[in-house]
Amino acid sequence: MTRDAETPAGLPHPDLVAAIPRLRRYARVLTGDPARADDLVQDTLARAWEKRRLWQAGTDLRAWLFTIMHNLHVNQLALFRREAVNVSLDSDAGGGAWQIPVRANQVDRVELLEVVREMGRLPPEQREVLLLAAVEEMRYEEIATLLSVPVGTVMSRLSRAREKLKKIVAEPPTGLRAVK
Amino acid sequence: MKPAAQPIEDADLHAYVDGQLAPERLAAVDAALLREPELAARVAALRELNAALRDALDPILAEPIPERLLAAAATPRARSSAGRRWLAPLFAAAATLLIGLGLGWTMRGMLLEEGGTPTTFARQAAFTHALYAADVRRPVEVWANEEKSLVTWLTRRLGHSVHAPDLNALGYALVGGRLVAGNEKPTALFMYENADKQRLSLQVRKDARHVGAPAGGTGDTAFRYAVENGVGVFYWVDDECGYALSGSVDRSQLLALARVVYGQLAALDAIEAAPARR
Repeated sequence: MTRDAETPAGLPHPDLVAAIPRLRRYARVLTGDPARADDLVQDTLARAWEKRRLWQAGTDLRAWLFTIMHNLHVNQLALFRREAVNVSLDSDAGGGAWQIPVRANQVDRVELLEVVREMGRLPPEQREVLLLAAVEEMRYEEIATLLSVPVGTVMSRLSRAREKLKKIVAEPPTGLRAVK
Repeated sequence: MKPAAQPIEDADLHAYVDGQLAPERLAAVDAALLREPELAARVAALRELNAALRDALDPILAEPIPERLLAAAATPRARSSAGRRWLAPLFAAAATLLIGLGLGWTMRGMLLEEGGTPTTFARQAAFTHALYAADVRRPVEVWANEEKSLVTWLTRRLGHSVHAPDLNALGYALVGGRLVAGNEKPTALFMYENADKQRLSLQVRKDARHVGAPAGGTGDTAFRYAVENGVGVFYWVDDECGYALSGSVDRSQLLALARVVYGQLAALDAIEAAPARR
């Protein structure tokens, strides 16, 4: 009989698999589109393997993967925008289709639908800060490092995003308020 | 009314609801919230927004993972020598699997003959897995086509909400489940099977003490691994329950499965807990 604690060494495959759901969620928030999101996750995983020697065992794998994903997305967006200029000026490069379905068992909570819809109207850089701070519960300093921006920028994006969204939970349409 | 020094800023409120406010500011914000109802209302709205965002986005974590992403996590892009070196563990895993399959039956006999009562959760989980997984025709009492009533039944018998995680994305389909005897409390067992007829079982018990949770700790533990007579077991404690995922598959594969199980159950708990939070 053998028994031991789980100690990751190198870039362990199980840890990568375990990170996939969070990567998918981040990608979904960035792109707003499930298929494009999964493409982004796939690219991120491939890049993680290529750069696996740069990951330091024991450090936060999630933050490392998120950084890779963020940078990939920014680069892809820049490329997409350059191409889009020649095609159509009014195409929304930030993610035309915003499809984050709210599950059937949640539809009784009207504000969830609203929150998701309004989140789609935020600029991608505000959406991602909101996800990282409010949902992933990352520290502001970590987020700043991840996005390569000053902490002040993280705070102002977060503040703007929340300013737009909090109206939904604070002032829901009359009669539609979920029972508290 | 308002103190002249240290006005409460927007950034303070964000940090406050995100649990990141510097300890030395905490008292000032707490005091201001008691004093100023509109400030308290803003904090409440921000909290509610955080909760709504989590409730809206947590279900994504429970979605089955597409095959292509699992493949992307498993295989680096073919790259000359580096690529070949990374194949070695795969062959090792395949070999382990074959050996495991071969040993399965032998182990079953050994386990069945072994005297005494299994003591640890991992040991008992491995024993129970070997016993039922080897049963080709009747591994479970209630089959997967009655999953809903299975889950209801097990929830009732355990006195705790249980779920059968969806492992289809990892190639394992739910076979069904049964109630099994634990040391003192009943244990729920869900059996899964892949295309190669390799079986896994997830066992859930509402009794963290017997799982080996450190006394006086928060109760939750990291994944731990044990091999009991050839059956690998990852077990952990989450909330009030002990979980054990057992199978004769290689350790890294089992860990990957255990993490998916853990992630799905955590996401489901978050959804269930949502109405209570409001």
